[in-house]
Amino acid sequence: MSLIRILWLRVLLFACLWWILAEGRLDGWLLGGVAVIAATWTSVALWPPPAHGVRLTALPGFLAFFFANSVRGGWQVALMALRGRRALQPAFLELPLNLPAGAPRILLINVLGLMPGTVGIELTGDRLRLHVLHQDLPVVAEARALERRIAALFGATT
Amino acid sequence: MNDIALAVALFLLGNLVITLLAAARGPTAADRMLMALLFGSTGSGILVLLAVAMSIPALVDVALVLALLAAIGGVAFAKRAWQEDGHD
Amino acid sequence: MTDLIMPWISGTLLIVGAFFYAAGTLGLLRFPDVYSRLHALAKADNLGLGFVLLGLALQAESIAVGLKLLLIWPLALAASAGVSYAIARRADSLGVKPWCKDSP
Repeated sequence: MSLIRILWLRVLLFACLWWILAEGRLDGWLLGGVAVIAATWTSVALWPPPAHGVRLTALPGFLAFFFANSVRGGWQVALMALRGRRALQPAFLELPLNLPAGAPRILLINVLGLMPGTVGIELTGDRLRLHVLHQDLPVVAEARALERRIAALFGATT
Repeated sequence: MNDIALAVALFLLGNLVITLLAAARGPTAADRMLMALLFGSTGSGILVLLAVAMSIPALVDVALVLALLAAIGGVAFAKRAWQEDGHD
Repeated sequence: MTDLIMPWISGTLLIVGAFFYAAGTLGLLRFPDVYSRLHALAKADNLGLGFVLLGLALQAESIAVGLKLLLIWPLALAASAGVSYAIARRADSLGVKPWCKDSP
């Protein structure tokens, strides 16, 4: 993606944000325009464009996967809370990561905390230690599925 | 609709009080840190419900700022933990 | 037609949200160690917030106001993801042992 296109996308994103924050009113756009330019400039300074571009075409699929699994995760933990501690059989688990370091891995660890049964504990080198609510849950297969989604989102190979 | 929103807001307030008491009791320091999580999710939930129930739209902005500060705090927390990872 | 059904959908979503918040509280009270309590709070409470926000956004007077409500959700998720990771790591480095079914 060219630099100009990324800049325009960011301007568009911040303009949308301003529109939402102003609740659709039109009287503040002078200030809004300044805020949008300042935000775009800051974002370029803090997060230079070439690093880890997100593929917009993969975004809807990722979001759908994320929503479906976070509802499943919440439902599962709610049922366990109703049953009390006899529903639990916690375990630690070591998961070797296939994703490249940086944004993809950070996203993986953060999203895992909302997926069914898992919370990330510690990342050492390429291995992530997880806490699992019940050792019989198919967490490894689900973590791999999440990894594939994130790889598609960043256009990386696992 | 507004009645439901108010009822749910009060219910969440009750939840928050119970969880705060439980979390404050410990037993470990990590348990007490759970309170930081509570204020992000339950706190902003109560604020948006009250904004609708009491017709005070400004409370939505308060909830937004609370969530934003919680997000920045969360990232800062995680980043510190992350850098410790690099050292040891 | 939508004016008739929307309040019902919206009210149902609020009650579903309240259920998940309650489940989070219940988990916090009943789960045996800090790691499991973290699961309960991070997953159930955030889902509760998501349902509450969605329920309120459906009743919002304009699209922008509705989107503003929904904007709170990703922020709360980012907060809880960062804080959960920090708490779990801290507990682990402090030597907090996870609860195990066989040992009392």
